[in-house]
Parts: sequence; C-alpha cells; structure tokens
Amino acid sequence: MINISEIMENNPVTISPYVSVKWACEIMEKHRFGGLPVVNDGLIVGILTSRDVRRCHPNRLVADAMIKNVLTLSPETSLWEAREFIETNCIEHLLIANESKLLGIITKSLLNLEFGKQVDTLTGLYRSDYLYYMAARLLKEGIEIAVLFIDLDDFGVIDKERGHVTGDIILKQVAEAFKEVVDDNKDYLCRYAGDEFAIVTSSCLKDVRKLGVILLDLLTKQQWPNGINLNASIGIAGGRRGQLRPGDERRTVSELINLASLGSARAKKNNARIVFVGQVEVIEDEI
Amino acid sequence: MSLDLPDNKKKESLRTAEINLKLSEFEFPPMQDVLLIGRRAPIGSESARKMSDALSPDQYEIIPLEHQFFEAVIVRKSLLTIIPREKLLPIVLEEGAKISPENLVLKVHVSVAVNVNKVVDLD
Repeated sequence: MINISEIMENNPVTISPYVSVKWACEIMEKHRFGGLPVVNDGLIVGILTSRDVRRCHPNRLVADAMIKNVLTLSPETSLWEAREFIETNCIEHLLIANESKLLGIITKSLLNLEFGKQVDTLTGLYRSDYLYYMAARLLKEGIEIAVLFIDLDDFGVIDKERGHVTGDIILKQVAEAFKEVVDDNKDYLCRYAGDEFAIVTSSCLKDVRKLGVILLDLLTKQQWPNGINLNASIGIAGGRRGQLRPGDERRTVSELINLASLGSARAKKNNARIVFVGQVEVIEDEI
Repeated sequence: MSLDLPDNKKKESLRTAEINLKLSEFEFPPMQDVLLIGRRAPIGSESARKMSDALSPDQYEIIPLEHQFFEAVIVRKSLLTIIPREKLLPIVLEEGAKISPENLVLKVHVSVAVNVNKVVDLD
C-alpha cells in the first residue's frame, strides 16, 4: 500500500513564529507556496497559509497569524487515509511529522494527482491499492471481511486470438457488469491486475458465496464480442477467519488476498468455479 | 546661446529643516491597566505577551478571548486582586466594542474604588 512518505516533499521550507507576516509573505511569493510550516526549536508550532496572511496586518508576528492547532499525520499513513483526512478536515496543506518533528509536506493538489494514478484508466475501477486500504480499514473497525479474487479464464488466449483491443473491450465490459451487481455499501471492487479483479466485502460468508455465483453467471450469460464465451475462476478467503491480530491489519490483508488468489488458481486447476479458502482449512465447493 | 541669467536676476534656492524637540517621560509600563488587542490589529497577543514579559515581567496576565473584535486582553494582575476578572472584563469589553476597534490596540485606564459602608449597632 502506498504511504505518504513516498510522495511527500522532504525538507520543506519553514518559517519561525517570531518573524513578521510581511516577511513570510515574501517567502511565500518567492517560492510560490500557499502555506508554510511554522517551526520553533525544531518542532512544529503552527502553519501559516496565504488565507491567514490575507486576513491580518503585515506587521504582526507569524505567531499571531498562524493556525496553532496544526493537524499532522505520520509518514506511514496510506495515501487513502491522507486523502480522507484532508477532505474531512478541509485542509490544503498537510504536514507529515513524527512527534511534532517536521518530516515533510503534501498539498491537496499533489495528493489528488497521486490519487488519480490509483484509478485504472481502462475500466475506471480503482487499482489494487484501494483493496488493501479498504480491507485494512474494515479490519481496523473490527469488521470481518472476505476477499473474492476473480481471474478470467483463458484471457491470454483471447488476447492472442482476437487481439488486445478486443481484450480491452471485454475487460471494460466486465468491469461495468461487476459494478452493476456489487453493493457500494459493503463491496469494494478493484481491477487487481491484467485480467484479474478483486472484491473485498463485509458481507457474511453465505452472501459472499451468492455474490460469487452472481458474478460467474453474469460472465456466462452476457453477450461478448465475436461470440466469445467468457468464464472465470474465483477464490474466496477470509469468511471463516475468527481471529484477528490487532494492529496487524495490513499483514492480515496481504495474507487474505494471497489466499484468495491461490483459491482462484486452485479453482481453475480443478475446474471448480469457486473455491473457498479459510486460514486453517480449505474447503472446496464445486457448483 | 547661453540661458544663464545675470547674477542680480538669480533667485537663491534655500532648503531648510526646522527641528523641534519635545521631551517627556516614557510612560511606564506603556500598557497601563488593560490592553485590548483587536483581531486585525498591527500586533497580536503573542507580540503583546513578549512586550509585557520584557517590560513588566509577571505583572500582566494575557487572557485569550473568543470575541467579535478582540483576540485577547492583557490585564494588570494587581487590578485583578481588587476586582475579579468576571466583573471587570464584561465592562471593559462592552465599552471597548463600542469603538469598533478590530484594527486597534486599545489602552484602557481603569480606576477602581471600593466603597464600604457599614452600619453598626450602637446598643
């Protein structure tokens, strides 16, 4: 999962709280910054934005113009959490810190730019990073989750025999079809890789199984270009997990996704359309 | 052709400066009893705190405010030993606000006289 330390601007320009607002304005104009972290004795004491300086007398000390209750995030925070944090708190400049020690800065526009890269341009679905984020978030909230890993069958053959453009049209169509049936309140769909899709869901095991069947039926019943028959193999993991290691959500998510992907491979190998995979026991269910 | 005027026609250009001095004692401390810091004043509460700490250490108390016009009030501590802040501040703020002083730092001189009138039983 991408975290903000990978995209933040390191060693940002800072300002002392005991210089004038006029001086701060000159620095902001010179560097074309919309906000400056205010640092005293190596620790963050505030942030001064262009909005703050517009409202106050240039003779004032920065300490008398800055926002004092500055919000910071740790460098390990995910891109998704940071975006949610910025939108919830309506802030334009996010300071990255470790116990009040400034490490970097991210602007809202930079974050949105990075966020845009997480959307697959072909299907309009989020990329796999979204799946990791949502799964970790649900687990952190104490919600049990399941991961469906959907691997389209023989897609390489379709690409080779019908061409990649046809392949792309099919992938787009699959994404549209999946979007129609998932419940946006509990199912989080992404394009995991080339011809692989994945869903993390908070549904109960019974409903997860039902969703898997619906997805497979969608593929077999739909009209595909050039009369192609499309099938997929699905691996499901996590529904049977009773134990969660607190604070280790990311590792748990990785394990679940891995188990689900192995499940889809097993389903493909055994011609079992859906395979349920638990953490301890593996139950194969042929439909 | 020369444009120079004859000497008797030349006007003298003379620039002078008049210097006046007015000496008086520096009012100390300059804050007097109460200082009301306007939200858009040229100095803010942090500047005022630094000023009072430097000029009159431990003699003033800075009280941050959630007020329409003022961001803080600086009060001489000795004044608060005579009259509680809950009694003093509403009066000062009410009168200060009438000047619409968002851009100003208002200096307030406060004079407090405590009147006591007791009746004793002579029997």
